[in-house]
Amino acid sequence: MRIGLVLPSIPAYSETFFTNKIKGLEAHGHTVVIFVNNSKKGTFNTSKCKVAPKLSGSLFQVGSISMFKLIYSFVFHFKKSKRLYLLDRKDGLGLFQRIKNIIGNSHIITEPLDWLHFGFGTMVFNRENVAKAIGAKMAVSFRGFDIGVYPLKNPGCYLRLWDKVDKIHVISNDISALLYKHGYNGKAEIIKITPAIDTFYFNNEEHQLPSVKNSFITVARLHWKKGLEYTLEAFALLKKEGINFHYTIIGEGEEYERLKFAAYQLDLLDYVTFTGKIDHEKIKDELNNANIYIQYSIQEGFCNAVLEAQAMGKLCIVSNAEGLSENVLDNETGWVVPKCNPKALAEKIQEVLALSVEQKSSITQTAQKRVREEFNLEKQQQEFVGFYK
Amino acid sequence: MSKRIKIAIYSGIVPSTTFIERLSKGLAAKGSHLFLFGLKNGRVPPLPNSTYITYSNMLSKLLVLIRYTFLLFVIKPKEKRKLDKIISKSKKKQLVLKLKYYPVLYHCPDIFHLQWAKSVEDWIWVQEFGIKLIVSLRGAHINYSPLVDSKIATTYEALFPKVDGFHAVSKAISLEAMKYHAALHKIKVVYSGLELERMPFQLKIVDVNTPLKIISIGRAHWKKGYTYALNSAYLLKVAGVDFQYTIVGVGSNEELTFQRSQLELENEVLFLEKLSFEEVLESIRKADVLLLPSVEEGIANVVLEAMALGTLVISTNCGGMDEVIVDNENGFLVPIRNSEVMASVLKRISELPLPTYQKIVIRARNTIEEQHNHKKMVVEMRDLYQKVLNTEL
Repeated sequence: MRIGLVLPSIPAYSETFFTNKIKGLEAHGHTVVIFVNNSKKGTFNTSKCKVAPKLSGSLFQVGSISMFKLIYSFVFHFKKSKRLYLLDRKDGLGLFQRIKNIIGNSHIITEPLDWLHFGFGTMVFNRENVAKAIGAKMAVSFRGFDIGVYPLKNPGCYLRLWDKVDKIHVISNDISALLYKHGYNGKAEIIKITPAIDTFYFNNEEHQLPSVKNSFITVARLHWKKGLEYTLEAFALLKKEGINFHYTIIGEGEEYERLKFAAYQLDLLDYVTFTGKIDHEKIKDELNNANIYIQYSIQEGFCNAVLEAQAMGKLCIVSNAEGLSENVLDNETGWVVPKCNPKALAEKIQEVLALSVEQKSSITQTAQKRVREEFNLEKQQQEFVGFYK
Repeated sequence: MSKRIKIAIYSGIVPSTTFIERLSKGLAAKGSHLFLFGLKNGRVPPLPNSTYITYSNMLSKLLVLIRYTFLLFVIKPKEKRKLDKIISKSKKKQLVLKLKYYPVLYHCPDIFHLQWAKSVEDWIWVQEFGIKLIVSLRGAHINYSPLVDSKIATTYEALFPKVDGFHAVSKAISLEAMKYHAALHKIKVVYSGLELERMPFQLKIVDVNTPLKIISIGRAHWKKGYTYALNSAYLLKVAGVDFQYTIVGVGSNEELTFQRSQLELENEVLFLEKLSFEEVLESIRKADVLLLPSVEEGIANVVLEAMALGTLVISTNCGGMDEVIVDNENGFLVPIRNSEVMASVLKRISELPLPTYQKIVIRARNTIEEQHNHKKMVVEMRDLYQKVLNTEL
């Protein structure tokens, strides 16, 4: 089978979700063609990758590329281009947009495919009819931001999609619930395939005792979605209670200034470390050196970092944002706290600190077992092979 | 002042912020000779006694550069050589520095009043040519930039002791600046002043039976604390208070739009794009209460404007806000990062008897007339300039 995967750019080696999926499909004898919007080199070696025509820059550049692509598409792929044009017309798109769609999708039209799979919901715009035009089936993945946040700013953005898509992939049950909220009509089958991690890489064999007694950690981009300001406020409450602790935040991002100022204003500068971005191996060291992993996000598709922390035998406290409450089962494999509520988080942390060693290890063992069984790479590969059947 | 002093008000762009424009206007009216250098950022209002040296596109930049290179070469060759030496030591683009520096050296004002502290390193050289350097202490530049970026803190610590004088927008910010070795005796607090004749006070009749009209004004920046305001709006809704909350200046910001949707406040909370100054004043007039939920401020101008116009203010107790608002007297102060208290005070305001409301807003107007009028600001700023000119350091 030939499967086309539409992504913003070539996945980095660390983007396990895509790289593992592609490897799995190829191992089962399928061919995977990746279509990307920009030619930024990823670290993952792929067999076949095609870049969308670059439609930015000087008027001359855009004009000549457009003309070339348009003529090329009509000469060598007349039938498919014509079909795309007619399908777009049926949808009521203007002449300019119809022509633009032929040019913008010329890299996809040239490929014979059985499936065309959009890696994120937001990749689908102006490509709703491409799969049908080339005679392929259409699949779309929804992962979090694309259905949780994007449609709020762009209401109705998926309305043209729901009648055309053949299969929908979601990474959590919460995300399928969101599809209905944004107009999904129940026609296409929804299949849940959760993210997975390398459970051999993340394990607790090198387990060591943390140097600070109450050592907390979060691995996250410094972005509003991650709820780090609320997390810091919870820690300020713990400090007021006289609890000694250290909290490490691993990651970089646009909200550094906001969070650093919050740490200052909440008088936590001595209690919080911002490490910035650090490499994978070092993240593992840092995780090893912590007792409790916190992921108190406001919005979250699923979160691999929480899976990795569980696999390494860490106690995990997470918010109830979208997929997190499937990632961690409350009171079984960790704790789920209502989001945006620093008081609730602080109380939960205190509660967890007060547990006995046996109670804690019962939780971490259950979590570790569950992650190994349910979120391993082989299982995910199998599920994706099944997805296209 | 006997001699007409030459003052450069420098923010890098012309025209600049409301405060800076008001200050320039007032100083020019008082007979100081003003120099305004920088990137042209829109229509420049003609001021008397003022010299504008502005540029916008490549061509105008080139012309300014050629003109002042020539003038300095002919009239002040020694000084030019000295400045060129200073410029050559900088790692920044030499031509850009020349474009910025040459006109200043040529016109050689008595005072160079730098509006943004972060650029202090770029302008400390003016002192070598007998120009007094005054630095304004305002907002982010003092309150959090040096906390986040230790390089900025180091620069401040090295250069603040050399600066001739500081203008602080609030007492609170003076204290912050002193952490970076700004000497107390060099700092003068000059509060932002409003042109009150253009902002007539209007005694409102607030009807407790209609929804409480709450407004906030300011761009979607984390320091504005809108997430706390939305959480308190949610609590207000849960408490059964009938209200309409408008935030002007945030447009369709992603974080706030998401939060509004999560809290199901689409019917109660409206987000608007940035409005013009006149439209802002109009929207403040129409509101029952102006809410400032910030986590950090110097002294927020919108609060002063609301107090002048007769709209009740509730503000977080951040920065210098408590230098303007006395809780329960001329407005309400609530702790930062605390949606519960904010909601409970908003609820209280929604139940405020009309005479109490009116008493508070009248006191608020009095505060502004006494402490934040335009004339006072100009007089005090001139005092600061005079003091700096009379002091030999």
